Amino acid sequence: MVLLIGCDNSSLVIDKLCDEAGEGDTAVMCFYFDFAARNEQSPVNMLGSLLRQFVSGPGGIPEVVVRDFQKQRKGIGGRGLQVSGILKMFQAITATKRTFICVDALDECEPEHRMIILESLRQILQGSPNTRIFMTGRPQVRSEVEKRLDGAVVFRSIQTQDGVVKYLCDKLRNDTTPEAMSNALEAEIMKTIPEMNSETYVEASAKDRLPWVGG
Amino acid sequence: MNPAFPRLGVVALTNPKSSNTFLSSSRAVKIKKMSQPFSNNNNSFNIGNTINYAAPDDETKILTWLSPLEPWVRHRDIGAERVDGIGAWLLETREFRRWHDASREDESNYATLFCDGNPGVGKSYIM
Repeated sequence: MVLLIGCDNSSLVIDKLCDEAGEGDTAVMCFYFDFAARNEQSPVNMLGSLLRQFVSGPGGIPEVVVRDFQKQRKGIGGRGLQVSGILKMFQAITATKRTFICVDALDECEPEHRMIILESLRQILQGSPNTRIFMTGRPQVRSEVEKRLDGAVVFRSIQTQDGVVKYLCDKLRNDTTPEAMSNALEAEIMKTIPEMNSETYVEASAKDRLPWVGG
Repeated sequence: MNPAFPRLGVVALTNPKSSNTFLSSSRAVKIKKMSQPFSNNNNSFNIGNTINYAAPDDETKILTWLSPLEPWVRHRDIGAERVDGIGAWLLETREFRRWHDASREDESNYATLFCDGNPGVGKSYIM
């Protein structure tokens, strides 16, 4: 069994996939794009990171990866990884495993990088039919995802209200100064804030109180 | 060793007077090659002479060669902030089930599930 390193943490889809993996031969990997780190999050580093998670499991590093590593060391100063090399290793070790790749904030990836990454994911899907990809992103990259992945995509829109209401309920329930809260104020909070659009959250600098802003 | 990457190292339970190692044989050989002698390995420590913890240099180098990025740090941070139950409805949707249950032969068109939403809707918290 291969599992994502962060499986002990609280998450939704990743938790579910890890729970189901049980003792089976299943791998779960994740990647979070971040606009602030767009230069470091190159296709090689991103895809290499997925592979790194895959081989970090209790089974040890597969021979195919060790061999490639040793081969590149023979070059002057060592040769860097290339996307094609990563994809070959990926295919060699994931072809028969059920593999889940979870990618967050695809829109925060540089457009040139995104094109290469989506093409690489398409090749991974093609070479490893047991692989499933879960992605999130802003609506503007939706058509690009559909095009690059040959239309083999299920889409689902995420609405604001669900997260906001749950978050507010949690904060009100654990309010450390409940004496300062009245029923009327609580009702106003529960009515007004979910009605605000996401741009308003950002403008109101609510980031500290609403941690998912930007996500 | 990066504490956010607890499985980077390898735990080997060994008897100091024999070569018995409670790991798969190929794994054990690899560890033995990389960490001998234990007394000269600055990356290992002993607990009561029965457990050796080794972070073989080559294994770390290979992982870093694959990628220097550590997305599990972000995953951990998001997990710490997340309110339990947020987005649970997604798991019950037809789209999620279709993607999740698709098998390679009959439903390869559902290999990818893309959840889109505007900034601030909590996309990262459904990961």
